[in-house]
Amino acid sequence: MRLLIVEDEPDLLASMAQALREEGYAVDTAADGEDGLFRAETVDYDAIILDIMLPAMDGWTVLKNLRRAKKTPVLMLTARDQSRDRVKGLDTGADDYVVKPFDLPELFARLRALIRRSANRTTSRLEIGRVVIDTAARTVAQDARLVEITAREYALLEYLALHRGEVVTRATLYEHLFGDDDDTLSNLLDVHVSNLRKKLGHDFISTRRGHGYCIE
Amino acid sequence: MIANSIRTRLQLWYGLILVVVLTGFGVTAYELERGHLFGRINSELDRRANLLADAMHHSGGPGPEGGRGPGGGPGGEGPPFDRPPQRGFPGDGPPDGRPGGSPPVLQLPPQAAGLFDASDPNNFYFIMYGKEGGEVRRSTNAPPEPLSFTGPTVVNPPPDDPHPLGNRRPPTHTFVIQGNRAEYKLDMPLGGSFVVGCTIAPELQALRLVALKLSVAGVVILGLGIGGGWWLATRAIRPIEDISAAAAKISAGDLAQRINLADTESELGRLATVLNSTFARLEAAFAQQQQFTSDAAHELRTPVTVMLTQTQLSLGRERSPAEYRQTLETCQRAAQRMRRLIESLLALARLDAGQEAMQHLKFDLATVIHDCADLVQPLAADRGVTVVLEASPLECVGDPERIAQVLTNLLTNAIHYNRPQGEVRVTSAVQDGIAIIIVRDNGTGIAPEDLPRVFERFYRSDKSRTPGGHGLGLSICKAIIEAHSGSLEVASEVGVGTTFTVRLPIP
Repeated sequence: MRLLIVEDEPDLLASMAQALREEGYAVDTAADGEDGLFRAETVDYDAIILDIMLPAMDGWTVLKNLRRAKKTPVLMLTARDQSRDRVKGLDTGADDYVVKPFDLPELFARLRALIRRSANRTTSRLEIGRVVIDTAARTVAQDARLVEITAREYALLEYLALHRGEVVTRATLYEHLFGDDDDTLSNLLDVHVSNLRKKLGHDFISTRRGHGYCIE
Repeated sequence: MIANSIRTRLQLWYGLILVVVLTGFGVTAYELERGHLFGRINSELDRRANLLADAMHHSGGPGPEGGRGPGGGPGGEGPPFDRPPQRGFPGDGPPDGRPGGSPPVLQLPPQAAGLFDASDPNNFYFIMYGKEGGEVRRSTNAPPEPLSFTGPTVVNPPPDDPHPLGNRRPPTHTFVIQGNRAEYKLDMPLGGSFVVGCTIAPELQALRLVALKLSVAGVVILGLGIGGGWWLATRAIRPIEDISAAAAKISAGDLAQRINLADTESELGRLATVLNSTFARLEAAFAQQQQFTSDAAHELRTPVTVMLTQTQLSLGRERSPAEYRQTLETCQRAAQRMRRLIESLLALARLDAGQEAMQHLKFDLATVIHDCADLVQPLAADRGVTVVLEASPLECVGDPERIAQVLTNLLTNAIHYNRPQGEVRVTSAVQDGIAIIIVRDNGTGIAPEDLPRVFERFYRSDKSRTPGGHGLGLSICKAIIEAHSGSLEVASEVGVGTTFTVRLPIP
């Protein structure tokens, strides 16, 4: 899952980005509205965390411009908690709203729900045959036994599971699993897929040559 | 509530006054009518009594002269009443040799008889008394007992009343009304008396009718008056009710309410206009306060969010000492920012409340300017900005620390919003007893739409977070200068530069 955070307070931006990376997301950052809009329009993010008070272009304008082109889920972040601000945000096209100061676990939960909704899922449990993925706890179990899995492997598995039945191209996977700051060696994806097959069974992820990967 | 309403009280007073006026008017009208009626009865009885007395005198007949029959007098030339009668009164005894007991039957002279037609019991009647008080004659319709002629009912005859009965000692007239009878008693000076009377039942009936009419008219007028008064009071009160309704809504929290009065020229209309402008100012002040609180909360929320996020992140798992150190540094920065904000908010609150004690010290303005310039020199050097001072020694009175705070703030802004290799020029001068300090930069300038708002609290024209800035600096500067009875003004042109002018009165 790849996220964009648009926030002008550098300390807050850094700690949010680090926290979300540790949650297994690929995170890009932008410190002002113009940069944020440019990135949001260029890359297909799984979700965007957007502050309202921004230099260069405020959050409302970024959202309005983005909505002309994309349906990327947007979580608005603001220090104003008056309901008319919230109404304005939701009416402009925001998908959710978090008021500063917030708790990180709440932010994580709201992000998960946002991504889940955009993939048309309603629960945090994904069941694929004998494998159960708990997107809230970020755990994978096979035959009711927890499977040891790395954050990157989990992100790959979750993305494929959320797009079950679809063939996901390598380019899409790269885009959603790795942020701008990650070193992306070309065979890194193959390594993760291979590790997942070792843990969950070779047939769990099928390869469509020339196209990409798929969970049936 | 209702008993205390102005309308009710107005109505009560109005009704009370109306009742007093109507009662006074009615009673006066009634009394006038009654006096007039009784006067008429009095003069009628007076006329008849005198005619009777006159007739008796001229006929020499009965009455005071005694029980002689008609024509018994000497050729009609009886002695006048005021003369001592030759004989006693009839009924005084037997001087005329008649046995007492049955009253003598006397014939009235014709002119007198016409006055007392006994055939109708409601007609006038008379009773004659002799000198000794005994009854001499009475008309057949006279009641058995005369009224008692005592008490305050004496009516003296009018002085111009031509007196037919002599001129030395006028007879005494007494008029009395009791029940539905009126009687008039004429006491002759030499004894004997005539009582003339009549029943006044029809007159009293008419009087009662007058009283009834007056009462009915009074009640109708009172009703109309109170009704009209209520209508008038309601009309007069309606604007007050509008005002009170609007004020109630405003006190309930709807500050956008205004009093809607079509008539703005009346006293209440002017009051409504004054109140409306007060409400408008109240609303503006309230909105400003709300904005300020919201901005302050916003400014505090960001550092709190930083601390919360950073600590939750760090505590999520075991970290290296370097990471903990970084977390602590981030938290420290956030805490410093909050401290600066809180100090600024407190300073503003104290300045607003006039509680910030300003010192009154003599100080040299040039020294303060030089000190401030030294303080910002590292920042200026960092930005490649030159600070030029043109300050000559000038003695001021005030709080040098506060003035230095203002100048440092203005200098920092001038350096911060300057272009590289820019210049900041500080000049001081005296004009008309006022010290003028000008801080001029040739930096980016302030956009015309932002210029009027630069002194607003939390207002930042570029919306970006300047390091350490929270949008309160210029507000505090203005408050400090105004606490010194001075003024702080700004002029700017985009691309040319900005000029801040401080004016401080020199005592």
